[in-house]
Amino acid sequence: MSNIENQIFSSYQRNPDLYDEIYDGEGNIKDIYQKLFDIYGGHSIQDYINLNSKAKASFFNQGITFQVYGEDNVQEKIFPFDLFPRIIDTEEWEIIEQGSIQRAKALNLFLWDIYHDKKILKDKIVPLELITSSANYLDQMNGVNPPGGIYNHISGTDIIKHKDGKYYVLEDNIRCPSGVSYVICNRTALKRALFGVFNHYQTHTVTDYAENLLEQLESVKPKGVDIPNCVVITPGMYNSAFYEHSYLAKTMGVELVEGRDLFVENDFVYMKTIKGPQKVDVIYRRIDDAFLDPLEFRPDSALGVPGLFSAYKKGNVTLANAPGTGVADDKAVYTYMPEIIKYYLDEEPILNNVHTYHCSRPDELEYVLANIPELVIKPVDEAGGYGISIGNRLSEKEIEEVRKQVKENPRKYVAQPIMSLSVHPTYIDDSESFEQRHVDLRTFTILGKDKEFVLKGGLTRVALKKGNLIVNSSQGGGSKDTWVLKKQ
Amino acid sequence: MLARVANNLFWMGRYIERSEHIARYMNVNYFSSLDAPNQISQDRQFVLRSMLFMVGEPEKDANKVLIEEDVLYKIGLDPNFSSSILNNVKYARENANSARDLISTELYESINKFYHFVLNYPREIFVKSGLHDFTTNVTEMSAILRGKIRGTLLHDSVYAIIMMGVNIERATQITRIINSKYNDALLAQGSYEDAFTKSFEWTTLLKCAESYDMMRRYYKKTPTSISTLEFLILNPNCPRSVMNSLNQFYKHVKILNPERRYNKESTAFLIGRVRAEYEYKYIEEIEKDIKSFIGKILKSLDEISNKVDEEFFNY
Amino acid sequence: MLKEYTVTYRSDNVYENWVHDAYWQFLILPLENTTQELLDTDFSNSIHAINQFSINGFGFNTIKVHPKKRFKQISFEAIFKVLKSENKEIKNVSESENKKSLEEINTLEFKINFERFLKSTRLTLLPKLETPLFQFNTNASLFENLKLLNNWVHVFLKYSPGVTDITTTLDKVLLQKSGVCQDFAHLFCAVCRKNGIPSRYVSGYLNHESGYLGDSQMHAWTEAYLPHYGWLGFDPTNNVLTNSNHIKVSHGKDFNDCSPLKGVVYSQGTHKTSHSVVVKSQQQQIQQ
Repeated sequence: MSNIENQIFSSYQRNPDLYDEIYDGEGNIKDIYQKLFDIYGGHSIQDYINLNSKAKASFFNQGITFQVYGEDNVQEKIFPFDLFPRIIDTEEWEIIEQGSIQRAKALNLFLWDIYHDKKILKDKIVPLELITSSANYLDQMNGVNPPGGIYNHISGTDIIKHKDGKYYVLEDNIRCPSGVSYVICNRTALKRALFGVFNHYQTHTVTDYAENLLEQLESVKPKGVDIPNCVVITPGMYNSAFYEHSYLAKTMGVELVEGRDLFVENDFVYMKTIKGPQKVDVIYRRIDDAFLDPLEFRPDSALGVPGLFSAYKKGNVTLANAPGTGVADDKAVYTYMPEIIKYYLDEEPILNNVHTYHCSRPDELEYVLANIPELVIKPVDEAGGYGISIGNRLSEKEIEEVRKQVKENPRKYVAQPIMSLSVHPTYIDDSESFEQRHVDLRTFTILGKDKEFVLKGGLTRVALKKGNLIVNSSQGGGSKDTWVLKKQ
Repeated sequence: MLARVANNLFWMGRYIERSEHIARYMNVNYFSSLDAPNQISQDRQFVLRSMLFMVGEPEKDANKVLIEEDVLYKIGLDPNFSSSILNNVKYARENANSARDLISTELYESINKFYHFVLNYPREIFVKSGLHDFTTNVTEMSAILRGKIRGTLLHDSVYAIIMMGVNIERATQITRIINSKYNDALLAQGSYEDAFTKSFEWTTLLKCAESYDMMRRYYKKTPTSISTLEFLILNPNCPRSVMNSLNQFYKHVKILNPERRYNKESTAFLIGRVRAEYEYKYIEEIEKDIKSFIGKILKSLDEISNKVDEEFFNY
Repeated sequence: MLKEYTVTYRSDNVYENWVHDAYWQFLILPLENTTQELLDTDFSNSIHAINQFSINGFGFNTIKVHPKKRFKQISFEAIFKVLKSENKEIKNVSESENKKSLEEINTLEFKINFERFLKSTRLTLLPKLETPLFQFNTNASLFENLKLLNNWVHVFLKYSPGVTDITTTLDKVLLQKSGVCQDFAHLFCAVCRKNGIPSRYVSGYLNHESGYLGDSQMHAWTEAYLPHYGWLGFDPTNNVLTNSNHIKVSHGKDFNDCSPLKGVVYSQGTHKTSHSVVVKSQQQQIQQ
C-alpha cells in the first residue's frame, strides 16, 4: 500500500466556473467525499478499468438494457453506468425529500381541482388557456373521483443543482416516469464491484421501493375489494423501459400483463390465465393515456384494453397514475408551480423553480425573441429532451431558425435562462480518467391513500458528452449510484 | 399465471431443447463422418444433406453440389433461416423476455449470456474452424440452462410448463433424428454385407442423442437397428427416449391440472393414451414399417402440443 | 301532444377471414330527458353474444358486445320504442335580459364552466379567413342570431350525400360548400364557439316521415347554450329548431365523441359493413 499519490484523480481538471459536487468553495474535497476519494484513489487505473468493465458486463448479461431505434436497426445498449457514486448529505436530502412531496401533493390537488370545480382557474391563478389548449386534458376525467383521491401515484421530479449551490426543479414527470429500476441496479452493481466502500458510509437502502409501491397500489384499491389483485401493464418487450416493467412486477410479485392479456366484461377487468379469467383491481400502467382504451381514446391503439375506461369510471378498477395527469406536467404548467403550491398548500415552495418566459404572452415573447442566445427554448409538450435549443450553442442561422419557429407558434414554446447544472467526477472510457460531467437527479415520489414516500436515493443522470447538458438516456446519458446518508 | 406467458414459457423450453439437438446433430455427424468405415458415410455431401434433412430443409436437387461453409452457416448462424441455431436461441430469449418476471434472475442471465454468445460468434471462424467449439458450447450451455431450470425455479406451474415444453420437444427431436439417421442408413447400405441392421449410422444416431454410452452399458453389444430403436423409443429409463419424454410430460401436466376425474378433453388424457400405446409395443413390430411409425409418432406429438395450446394457452 | 316512435337500427358485417376476437361499443340508445322517454329496448346480435350495458367516458349509455367464439359474419339489430313530446315554444327575451346574457357569456366563470363546448376541435376548426363567414348582428338578440346562423348554414351548404366523410374538416367543407348533416352541425358549432356561445354536436334519429332532409343513417344536429334558456336544439340541415321529430342519442364536442359504433376487430383481410336506420311513427296520437 505504498500508493499515496492519487492515481486516478491525478489528471482531474476542475473548471472553477462550474459547481463541482465533490469540492467546496475553496477547492478542497468536501468532508463527505474525502473517504470515497481516498479509496478510489488507492486503485490503479488498470484496476479501475477492470472493475468498470466487469460492472458493465454484469449489466449486459443480466439484460439490463434498452433499445435505441436507429434508422434501420434496433441496437441493444446498456444504460451507461459510472462507478463513482454521488453522495447527498442528510440536510440537503431533507430539502429534496420535502420539496418532492410538496410538489407531488400540490400537483395532485391541482389535478383534482381542474377535473372538478376549477377554482384555480376561476381565481385567475392559472389561465384557462393552459387547460383548453392542452392536448393532455381529458374531458372524460371531468367529475371522476379516483380512489383515494390520488391522481399522480408516482411522480418523478427532475432536480438540478445550479452554480449558486441551490436545487432547482426542471421538470415534474407524472405520466409514467421511468428510471427507478436503474437506481436499484446501480446500487447492486456498485455493491458487487466495490463493496468495501460501503463500510465507510451509512447509506440508506433503495431496495424498499417495490414494497412501498405495492403498499401504495393496494391502498388505492376499488371500493368493496378486500385483497386487491394488482398488475403492471406494459406495452410489451420491445418498449425501451420493458426491463423496468418486468423488474417492478417481479419484485412486487404481481403479474406483468399486456393489453391483450386483459379484457373487460360488464365493466370489470379480467386477465386471461391458464386457469381462466381472474379479476384485476389495480393496474399500475406503463402505457400512455392515448393508448389505454381504443374505444375512448386512440382507436388504433393495439396496446390498450377496449372498455377499460368505462370500468375505471365506474370505480371497478384503479389506474395508477390516473388518466389525464399529463395536463399537469406540461412545461407550461411547470411555470406556475410556485403559485400552484401556494394556492393549494398555503406554503412557500421548498424547491426552486427556474424562471420561465411564456412565449404565449406578447411581452415575454418579445423578450425571448430578442435574447435567444441567453436562453434555453423548449417545446411545451415534447418528452425525452427532444426539440430543446440551447441559445449559446446555436449558430446565427440556427438562432434565426428558432426565432422563426417560436414566432409562428408561440404557444408551443417556453424559454428559460440557461441553467448551469452542477458537475461530478465521472470516469470517461475514452480518456481513461475522471472528468467533470453535468448531472441531475430524478427523485421518485409515491403518493397513496394517507401515504407518502420518497425513495431515498434517486437517479443521478450524467451527460456523458463533454459539455452536454442533456442527461436523457436516449440522448447518450448515463447514471450514477446516489447515496443518501443516514443521520449521524 | 397468464395464459400468454405460459405459452412463452412452454416455447422457451422447446427452443432451448431444439437448439441443443441441432447443435449436437451437426457436431456428431460431421465429426464421426471424418473417419467413418464406409465411403458414403464419409462423404461430405452426404453429411451436409443429412443435416439439412434434420432441420427440415432437405435439398431436393440430388445433383446439386453443396458448399460446406454455406450449409454450416445456414444451420448455425443464419439470421434469415428461421430454424438456425441462432434463431432458436433468439426465440428462446424472446420468450424468456416476455416471462421475465416469472423466471429466476439466474436462469434469465444464463439465457441472455447464451444468446450473446451465439449472436457474437464470428461467422468466419465458425465455418472454417469453429464448428466443434461452437456446437460444444451450445450443448453445454443448454445443459447449464437445464440445471438452472431445475435448480433455481420453484417446482410449481412455471417449472411444469417449461418441462412440458422441454419434453415434448425432446421427443420430437429424437424422433426427427431417428428419421434422419434411418434415412441415412438406408442410403448408406450396400457397401458392407449386412449394411442396414448393423449400419455405422446407428452409432452416430446414439451419439446424436448422447445415449451411446448408456446403450453400450445396457446391451453390451454393437448397436443394431433393433437395439438402437428399442433403446431410443421404448426404454423408459433412457432419459432421451421418446417413452421417457412422454412420461415426464405426463408428470408435469399433472401439476398444472391435478384433476383425477375422467375427462377425455384434457391433455393428460391424451398423453396417457399415447403413452399406453407405446408401453405395449415391441420393437419388431415397429421395425417392419419404421417410416409410418415415425410419421405416426410425430403426429401424436403434434396433437399433444395442440391440446396443450387449447387447454392452457387459448384465450 | 305525444308521438310514439319505433326506431330500428341495423348493422351487418361480413369478414373475409375468421374473426377471433372483437369488441364493439354502440352509442345508439335514445336518451331519456324531459322530451323523450324510452319505452322499450330490444338489442340482439346474430351470433347470440352477450350484450353488456355500460356507460361511456362522457356519461352516455352504451351497449358493448364481446363475442366468445370466432365468426365471419355478424349482424346487430336494435329496436327502440320512444315516446316523444313537443318542445315548449321558445320566446324571445327582453332586450335587457339579452344584455345580461351577453355580459354573462363574457365572464371567466362562464368560459370555465362551458370550456368543453367552447374550444375547437379538429373537426370544428374554422380556417383563417379574411372576412368572417357569418357575423352576429349586434342589434338582434342572441337567440335571433342563432336562428339566423341556422338559416345561414342551411343556405350556405348544399346537402349532398357522399361528398364528405366522418373525417372531413371544415376547410374542405367550406371550399366545396356542400356536405351532409355532420358537416352542417360542425359548421354551426364552429361559428357558435367562435362567438363565445357554447355549442355541442348532437347525434340522434330523425323522423323522415316529416319530410326533413337526412339519409337512412343516424342524423346530426346541434345544441347551443344561452343563459336564461339553457341548451337549445338547432337542426341546420333542415333550418329548424329541433322538435318532436328529433330523437336525441348523445352529444359531444364533435362527431368523434358521438360515433354510434366503435369497434376493435382482430381479423385479417377485407370486410364489408352496412348500417341502416328506420324511424316509424305510430301515427297514434296519445292524449295527455
